[in-house]
Amino acid sequence: MNRRDFLQSASAAALASTTIARAATPAVKPVRLGVIGAGSRGQEDLRQFLRVPGVSVEAICDIYPPRYEQVNRLAGKQVPATANHHELLARTDLDAILIASPVSLHAEHVIATAKTGRAIYGEKALGFTVEDNHNILAEVTRHKVLFQIGHEYRYAAWAQEAIRRVHAGDIGTPTHIYAYWHRNGDWRRAVPQPDPEGKLEHLINWRLYRETSGGLGTELGSHHIDMANWVFGEQPQSVIGTNSICRYHDGRTVGDNVQAVFSYSQGRRLVFSSITDNAKQGCELWIYGTEGSVQITIEDATFYYEKKRSNAPSADKADSKTVIERGVVTGASYSTAGEMPYRGPGEKVVTATSEDPTLAAVRSFTEAVRGEREIFADVHCGFRAAIACAVAHDAVFEENKMAIPGMRG
Amino acid sequence: MQAIKRKFATTLMMAAFATTPVAKAVAPRPLTLYTTTHPAMGTEFTLYLYSADAAVAAETSEEVFDEVDRVEQLLSNYRDSSELSRINQNAAASPVTTDPEMLDFLTQSEHWSSASDGAFDITVGRLMKAWGFYRHSGRIPPEEELRQLRAATGWEKVQLDPAARTVHFTLPGVELDPGGIGKGFAVDAAVRILRAQHVVAAMFSAGSSTLYALGAPPHLAGWRVVVPGPLPSHDSLSVITLRDTSLSSANCSEKNFTVAGHLYCHIMDPRTMRPVEGRIQVSIVDPSATASDALSNVIFVETPGQSVETLKKYAPEARALIVSGDAGHPHCTMFHWGVAIDSKRCSL
Repeated sequence: MNRRDFLQSASAAALASTTIARAATPAVKPVRLGVIGAGSRGQEDLRQFLRVPGVSVEAICDIYPPRYEQVNRLAGKQVPATANHHELLARTDLDAILIASPVSLHAEHVIATAKTGRAIYGEKALGFTVEDNHNILAEVTRHKVLFQIGHEYRYAAWAQEAIRRVHAGDIGTPTHIYAYWHRNGDWRRAVPQPDPEGKLEHLINWRLYRETSGGLGTELGSHHIDMANWVFGEQPQSVIGTNSICRYHDGRTVGDNVQAVFSYSQGRRLVFSSITDNAKQGCELWIYGTEGSVQITIEDATFYYEKKRSNAPSADKADSKTVIERGVVTGASYSTAGEMPYRGPGEKVVTATSEDPTLAAVRSFTEAVRGEREIFADVHCGFRAAIACAVAHDAVFEENKMAIPGMRG
Repeated sequence: MQAIKRKFATTLMMAAFATTPVAKAVAPRPLTLYTTTHPAMGTEFTLYLYSADAAVAAETSEEVFDEVDRVEQLLSNYRDSSELSRINQNAAASPVTTDPEMLDFLTQSEHWSSASDGAFDITVGRLMKAWGFYRHSGRIPPEEELRQLRAATGWEKVQLDPAARTVHFTLPGVELDPGGIGKGFAVDAAVRILRAQHVVAAMFSAGSSTLYALGAPPHLAGWRVVVPGPLPSHDSLSVITLRDTSLSSANCSEKNFTVAGHLYCHIMDPRTMRPVEGRIQVSIVDPSATASDALSNVIFVETPGQSVETLKKYAPEARALIVSGDAGHPHCTMFHWGVAIDSKRCSL
C-alpha cells in the first residue's frame, strides 16, 4: 500500500469500523486504535486491546514489512500499514495510539502523537535518556493528552490487593524490596538470513545494543522500579550498579546480567537483579517489612509473617522460680533454627479475578478514553520509573553511584 | 491443558539422516539436524530442525517454543489467567469479547462439532472432570450426575458472533476444554513461525498427539513416520511419508482406567456422555494440524462407516487409518491411506 492509498483508506475504514462497532456493540463507544511499533510486544498489546468491547485497529506503522502480515492475521482483517509514523498520525480515523516502538524512539513517537491531541498507550519505559523523559513529560502535560504507561502490574488484581495491604501496614514498615527477573535464554530474536550487513540484526535485536536499549535494567527492571515507587510513594534518589557479559559473547553491547541498588528516602532500598542463564528465581518481587514480607509474581501474591517475639513478663510462673533457684545454663548455645528461610505455603492473596494484567490495563485505558475513569499508571508514574532506568543504564557501566533527577519545575 | 485423548507413540525414522549433509555442489554449508524439546500443554513438544547454522537453529527453536507458550496461555484450562479461562468464567453471564485468533479457534471447533454431529465437542470440560480424567483419578459418575451434566454439555450452547468478536454460553455451567484440538492449533501456529523463518525442513510434534512435517530432510521425499500396531505388540502397522502436512493420532492405551475388568478410555463420546467403546486407535493426515487433531477425535468416536462419510464430505483430501475391535481381533479401515499396512496385525 502506498502513501496515497494508506491515507485514502482512512475515511473508508472510519466509516466501516464505526458501522460494525455500532451494530455489534451498541452499548459502547468505539475506540479506533493506531499502532506505532508492531513487534512482539506491540502485537501482544494489540491482541489484548481486541479483547475489549468496541476496540478496533485501523492502522499500523512499522519499518519492518513482515509485521504487516502478522498484524493482519492477528486482527483478522487487512490493516492499512505504513513505515512513516507521520502518515499514521495524519489519519482522521484514529481515537488512540498504541506506541510500542523501541525505547530509543519513544520520545519521537510520543511527542509527535501528543501534538495531535490523541490518547496514548505507551509501552514502557517512558523514554530512553534523561532528557527524553523530561521532554516527554513536558509535551504530554502541555498538550493535556491522556497517557497511560505500560506498567501493567499496576492493573493486576493481586498486585493491587497486596500493595493495598502493604500500605495499610500489614507487614509493618516496608524498608527493602528485592526484585528478580531471571531467565535462561539469550534474549535474542531470530533474524532472517542472509543479513550480510547486520541491518536486520540491529533492527530486530535492538534490545541487545547500548545505543538503542537500556538492557535488562530498563526492559525488565522498569516494572520492578515502578512497583518499588508505588510501595515507597516516591521515585529513587540514586542508583549504583554493575553489569557484565558472562555467557553470551555474541557481539551484544548490553550486559547479559545486571545488578543495581536503588536508594529511596529514609535508607529504603530496591535491589534488582537480572541474569539470563538461570531461571530458578524467575520473575518475582519481594517486599520486606518489619513485620512480614510479600512476594508478588506475574500470577499471584503471597504474604509471609515474621515470627512473633513476646516481651510480656512472666514473673509468677513456675519455671521462673526454677531459674531463680537453679540459675541458667550458659554457653555457645546459638541456634541456627531462626535463620532458616521461611517454609510453608504462606498466605496467598485471594482476589475476585485473575485477569491478565495487560488486558486489565488496556481495558482501563479504553474506559479512560471514553471518559469513564481516570488513568492510574499515568505519565508521572512512567517518568518516575523511566528516569531511574535512564540513569541506571549509565550507572551499571560506570559502576559509580549516580543521582536520579526528579521532575522539573 | 489436558488432552481429551491420549495419543499413541508415532516413531520418527530419522536416525539414518540425523547429520546428513547436503551435497557440497548444492549448498556451501551442510545442513545439520538440531533437536530441541520444550514442555507445554501437559506434554513435550519436539522440534527437529535442519539448519546450516547452530545459532540460527537455536533462535528459531526459541521463537517456535515462545509461540507454543503463547498459545498455551491463550487456551489453557488450567491457568486462571488464560483467555479460555476468562471465557469459561464469564461467557454464561454475558457475551465476552475476544480477539480474532481465539474466535478463529472457537469457529474451527464449532465447524468440526457441526460436521460430526457432536462427535467432536469442545464443551466436554465438566464431563472429563466427572469421569476423573482431569486429575488422573478415573471414576464412573452416577447416572444422576451424568443427567445433570448433559444440561451443561453441547457445542450448540456456545454462540459465536464473528462481527462483534463475542462468545456467549446460552446456559450456565458450560465449560470449554480445548484438549481435542488445542495441540493441533499450537502446531499450526508454530509452523507459521518456521515458514516465516524460511525453514526448509523440520518436523514439529506435540508429544505423540499431533505432528507436522515441513519440507523434507536432505535427499528424501519426506519425513517417514511409523504408525505402530495395536496393543500389545506396538510393532509397525504402517509407515507413511509426510511432506507439508500433519498427522494426528488417538488411542486409549495410555490414559484409561479399569473397573471390574472393564477398560474405560479417556476419549468421550459427547453424545452418550460415556467413554468410547470399540475403537483402538486412529491416525489421520491433513494439511491443517488443527483439523487433523479435531478429526482424530471425530473418527475415534464415530463408527468407521460414519467416519468415512464424514471425511468424504468435510475432509476429502485427508488420509486416515482406523483400528477398531479389540487388541486380540483388530480390524482396520482405511480412507485414502495410500500406503500398505501389515494386514497380519490388523485385518481389513
